[in-house]
Amino acid sequence: MAWALQPSRARAADGRPGRLVVVFLRGAYDGLSMLVPHGDPYYTRLRPTIAIGRPDGTLNSALPLDQLFGLHPACSALMPLWQQGVLAAVTCVGSPDDSRSHFDAQYHWETGKPGSSAPSAGWLNVLSGYLGADRPNTLGVGEAGARILNGPQSVQLLAGGLAALHPGWLANTAVREDFMRMYFGDERTVQAISRGASSRMTSAGVLRAAQSAREQSGSLNTAGALQGLALDARNLGLLMDSNRQLRLGFLSAGGWDTHVSQGAATGTLANQLANLAQALLQLRPFLSEPNDLVVVLSEFGRTCAENGTWGTDHGRGNILWLMGNAVRGGQRHGRWSGLSPEVLIEQRDLPVHHDFRALLAQLLVRVLGVTRPQTEILFPGYAWDAALDGILKT
Amino acid sequence: MNGTSHPTFFSKIARATRQLLSLGVVVVCLGCAQRPDRADDRLQAQIEAPAAPEVPAAQWRAINRLTYGPTSAVLAQIQSAPSPRQWALDLLATAREAGRQAPRIPAELSSITAPLPDLFEGVRKEREARASVPAGTVINEALPGPKRFDFSQDPDPLFFNRTQLTKSEAWRLAACSSDEIEHPLLARMTEFWFNHFNIFQHKGPVRPFVGHFAVNVVRAHALGRFEDLLLASARHPAMLYYLDQWLSVAPGQTGANRRGLNENYARELMELHTLGVNGGYSQNDVRELARILTGWTVSPRSPDGFQFVQRQHDAGSKTWLGHKLPESAQQAGVAEGEQALRILARHPATARRISQRLAEYFVADAPPAPLVDRLARTFVETGGDLYRVMQTLIASADFWSAEHKLYRTPFDFACGALRTLEAGADRSKWLQAFGYLAVAGQPLQSWQSPDGYTFQASDWLTPESMSRRIDFALNLARNAPERKDLYRFLGGDSLAIVMNQNPPLRMGFLLGSPEFNFK
Repeated sequence: MAWALQPSRARAADGRPGRLVVVFLRGAYDGLSMLVPHGDPYYTRLRPTIAIGRPDGTLNSALPLDQLFGLHPACSALMPLWQQGVLAAVTCVGSPDDSRSHFDAQYHWETGKPGSSAPSAGWLNVLSGYLGADRPNTLGVGEAGARILNGPQSVQLLAGGLAALHPGWLANTAVREDFMRMYFGDERTVQAISRGASSRMTSAGVLRAAQSAREQSGSLNTAGALQGLALDARNLGLLMDSNRQLRLGFLSAGGWDTHVSQGAATGTLANQLANLAQALLQLRPFLSEPNDLVVVLSEFGRTCAENGTWGTDHGRGNILWLMGNAVRGGQRHGRWSGLSPEVLIEQRDLPVHHDFRALLAQLLVRVLGVTRPQTEILFPGYAWDAALDGILKT
Repeated sequence: MNGTSHPTFFSKIARATRQLLSLGVVVVCLGCAQRPDRADDRLQAQIEAPAAPEVPAAQWRAINRLTYGPTSAVLAQIQSAPSPRQWALDLLATAREAGRQAPRIPAELSSITAPLPDLFEGVRKEREARASVPAGTVINEALPGPKRFDFSQDPDPLFFNRTQLTKSEAWRLAACSSDEIEHPLLARMTEFWFNHFNIFQHKGPVRPFVGHFAVNVVRAHALGRFEDLLLASARHPAMLYYLDQWLSVAPGQTGANRRGLNENYARELMELHTLGVNGGYSQNDVRELARILTGWTVSPRSPDGFQFVQRQHDAGSKTWLGHKLPESAQQAGVAEGEQALRILARHPATARRISQRLAEYFVADAPPAPLVDRLARTFVETGGDLYRVMQTLIASADFWSAEHKLYRTPFDFACGALRTLEAGADRSKWLQAFGYLAVAGQPLQSWQSPDGYTFQASDWLTPESMSRRIDFALNLARNAPERKDLYRFLGGDSLAIVMNQNPPLRMGFLLGSPEFNFK
């Protein structure tokens, strides 16, 4: 296929260009509700009303993964992926900076520079430059101004939700040509109009065709209408599948800041988790080549103990997720030191045993073909974490 | 821009003139008689020989740079003025006057400038209301679109912060779009300074104070003395919260929450608000300035929301920017910080940075160095009088030179469109503008880092933003009455294309034209 002949400066060891999709959960998601440490004696004590029950075979309890951990029942759609060995959890990952401010921490995660509030490009944007291409190789869905995508490289953006299916006024030939004529002689603006129009028309075309195919096959009725993150995930997957220049993807969703009444097996957070699981499931068929990776990030974890309003407050370490054929899946990675008060940060938060940048560096170096010196530019001051060497098969 | 663009530009004007004549539009050459300017003598000396600006072009330029766009009123005003330059200088004078008066905030938005203790009280009540929500109740944090700018209901205490934010967004959109609500140049100056002292509305405790900051800090000093602006920003809860200054206490203090020095504000104060990153300070200066400012924090009860807490202040001696500061006992501590802010405000590097930024904002992405020098000189000579700096800028030949082009940012474009359609008071249009700013990557009050939004063309003239801009223009202006008074400002090609559309689309095309987007 033609796309396979495209030059690419950065390639994985086996020569196939890898792709990476970052899913960012804004607001700090409660990892201890998704990867449930039901075997830890402190878990239910710390969370008297919001703990997910030990696996008992019903959908009101965790789905068993091993003796210690289970999966939130709302994420049952992920069980096959876990069993196939393409989904893995990494425990006690976080930022070396101890900020519990969403704003500061998200900024650190997106710039790759914990502790610094200095203006900086997003690491995904800089990474886009390392992968090299004459057209944008990065697609962001939903947010227009996400810091992680901000920087010198040009990035393709797609509107969130159903708006992605609308090609806009420039799809009208007369309108488009009239605007291009108005800017005749101003090559730069003419190019912007022409590229903006064609990118949106192509996207809308791909997404509409897929939608009508689903409608005809009836799968829309059985699966139910996708929304939010899951819809954005499907749109991103379809576009990355149809345009092989796209090697980096970014998705995000808010609504994870569950200070009040987060629920347990059902409730607010369970609904959010179900949608996250659906999003990963939607991405899977489009990102199932040997070097495709999906990573789920969030700016920090939440308190191990529930608070006075049946929710959780801002914490430190968290549990992140990796999906892909290159992942040593069906297992948990990273250190786990339990929930006893003396190992928790300030007796309340999961410790940060692994710098999130060290986790990302593993993926970039071993699957995307980025060099170690490049990761040191992306993530100044991070250290390679050999304890994470086992997360990938290669 | 290369040299070949000049012939194109002038030939476009020539073509436009021919086209207008053929359309029967009379091109009135106001000011061609070169009436004497009314400016004072000193200013007269500053005014350079005009580079023979073609009058409608100069009018168009002045309106789109000094206001967000051509309302009929502003257009009529400049057309009856002795010259575009005189109109501009008069506009500057009336803007300063307007800044000394209270703003005309619509009654239902007025809670943004409520006394600060009341705002702190609203925050406390929201916290209480949220704590008493019964288990299992889901609080709907998302506001449905059409309700966004509907403030007819009494605000729910549960959503105090959110309501304050939305009102602030509404105020800023309205102020930039409606001559009835705000002086059009003061609106622009306020936006310039809001962006210079950027705060981020989604940082939790900042939320209720954004509008108060915009009105009482930024607007109040937008054409006053920079020193006053800087000091007011430093003491305001929005800034104290945004850059964590309220948490910064003397290092080594032990207390229940073991806080210490936080350098965030001290660093940005020098890097962004004043000296600039190459302004000649070291990491040690950052730390020493942070020590000087320890004890500056918020006060929920004082009228200005500020207090200095001596026991959190690091009273030890300091060396900062070469100044030796002795131990600051008792209340001398707050004076030490004020003195530091004054030193920064008067510093030549600050004069340069502010001048550079103003020239980028009003003249060109890469403004001529001699212009920046001249602005900086005025800044220094007048003790940072921003009115006088702007006077120098408007009087300069560079401001009027057709070789300098600026591309409208999304915010500039949105407000310009609202003004051109005279829709500055129409809330359904605000909603469209609001949605556009979100998809165009410049949502109001939502730039996270303290450097503020860029205003360089290279950052905004992208494929994605172009398609969003045209969608917004054609949707917003659909069926809008034609502004035939604006056609004279379009080049011949643009005019022909606009006139070739069905009338319901003409205003949208006008908004999408090069003449409107490159000001």
